[in-house]
Amino acid sequence: MTAVPALLPDQTTPVEVRKKGGERITIRWADGHESVYPARTLRGRCPCAQCVNESTGERLVFEEHVNPDVSILEARTVGHYALHFDWSDGHTTGIYSFDYLRRICPCASCAGRAA
Amino acid sequence: MTQVGIAEAQVLDALRSVMDPDLHKDIVSLGFIRNMKIEGGVVSFDVNLTTPACPVKDRLREQSRQAVLAVPGVTDARVNMTAEVRRPPAPSTAALQNVKNIVAVGSGKGGVGKSTVAANIAASLARSGARVGLLDADIYGPSIPIMMRSGRPAEPRADNVIEPGDAHGVKVMSMGYLTPGDQPLIWRGPMAHKAVQQSLLGVNWGELDYLIVDLPPGTGDVHLTLVQTVPVTGGVIVSTPQDVGLQISMKTLRMFQQTKVPILGIVENMSYYVCPHCGGSDDLFGHGGAEEAAKAMGVPFLGSIPLDPAIRKASDEGTPVVIAEPGSKSGQAMADVTGALARQVSIRAFRNVTLSIVEE
Repeated sequence: MTAVPALLPDQTTPVEVRKKGGERITIRWADGHESVYPARTLRGRCPCAQCVNESTGERLVFEEHVNPDVSILEARTVGHYALHFDWSDGHTTGIYSFDYLRRICPCASCAGRAA
Repeated sequence: MTQVGIAEAQVLDALRSVMDPDLHKDIVSLGFIRNMKIEGGVVSFDVNLTTPACPVKDRLREQSRQAVLAVPGVTDARVNMTAEVRRPPAPSTAALQNVKNIVAVGSGKGGVGKSTVAANIAASLARSGARVGLLDADIYGPSIPIMMRSGRPAEPRADNVIEPGDAHGVKVMSMGYLTPGDQPLIWRGPMAHKAVQQSLLGVNWGELDYLIVDLPPGTGDVHLTLVQTVPVTGGVIVSTPQDVGLQISMKTLRMFQQTKVPILGIVENMSYYVCPHCGGSDDLFGHGGAEEAAKAMGVPFLGSIPLDPAIRKASDEGTPVVIAEPGSKSGQAMADVTGALARQVSIRAFRNVTLSIVEE
């Protein structure tokens, strides 16, 4: 496992979270960067224990396993540190910390060093 | 209907050998087994999983089938796999919308006087005229009822809302109230989770300026539930001056940081000994360690509290020292720490922007 570069506080502090229907989430960060997460991409990166093996960290559920039409039924904040989604496929267990969300930013310049 | 003498209990016992690999418990204890029917030698039942997308569904089905087939007299086992997604309790914070600031008090280990400090901070804030609540979330050793001499609250009202107790102007709720008498709380994680949620959201806190939450020592379930249930304004860490205490306190600090709970500061407790006879001071455990650590970590240092028999005595008698002896060295130290904390909370109040998800 290669070392993951540490993120600066501004890179993991959201200043705005927008949701477009069930199809995507957009986060604007304190450093000015904007991350756009299509629903299926986000569902396919779910960090919960059903989607990622807890002890080995091996991913069990990938984006290609997710229904192409999956949508976000509901999104809410978890304390100050994470987002939580109810998915149209019934999945609800993932808690996406802002650190994690910044690491999986799918934009072209971030995707190269994704977690 | 069990002419061949297969008892449901026998089947359940056999099924106890089947473990859910994620939840690390057997499927009987988890309550997964439903609708069991025993007709002659044929046993049929549902295994109700927590998600239809369970990656180990087939393995569990086969293990369940084999386990039941091993019961004497069973000729066939029919396993029906069902699922019901157990929704994580909705973090509805509506009930705490009238609470302006939630301050968590934590420590790396037990015995550093975290509850004493929490009780004194609460009482001191109330004495200053603030509306204050104190939630004793220490499931392992809820001691706030003794320190605040607060009575057990009345039974929950018809709508299941608990009225908090009242002591020294502070609204008090304790995990200790959730079991009768001197019974300990022997809980698995999910039980603690539910109890903490109930104590936060199911208590009629009313309008509060501050809700002080006395966490259990260390890092774990209760902390996670707290930060996932309500937006915590910030965390306070109580430490002794000793290095070992501090090393462990750093873990609590990292825990707060990882869950984005702002650190309001570190309090050094048992900082020095005040002799009750001559009034002189002695640094029993060394002195200033927490202040140095706070400086190194770039977090505020909120003050030092002496190791003073008067603090212990006041706590045992149910009146925090800030109320019992406000003019004493210890009472003053507690009041100073409270002031420093309130200042940090105010700073945060201006800096924290409530994040909401906007529809575009």
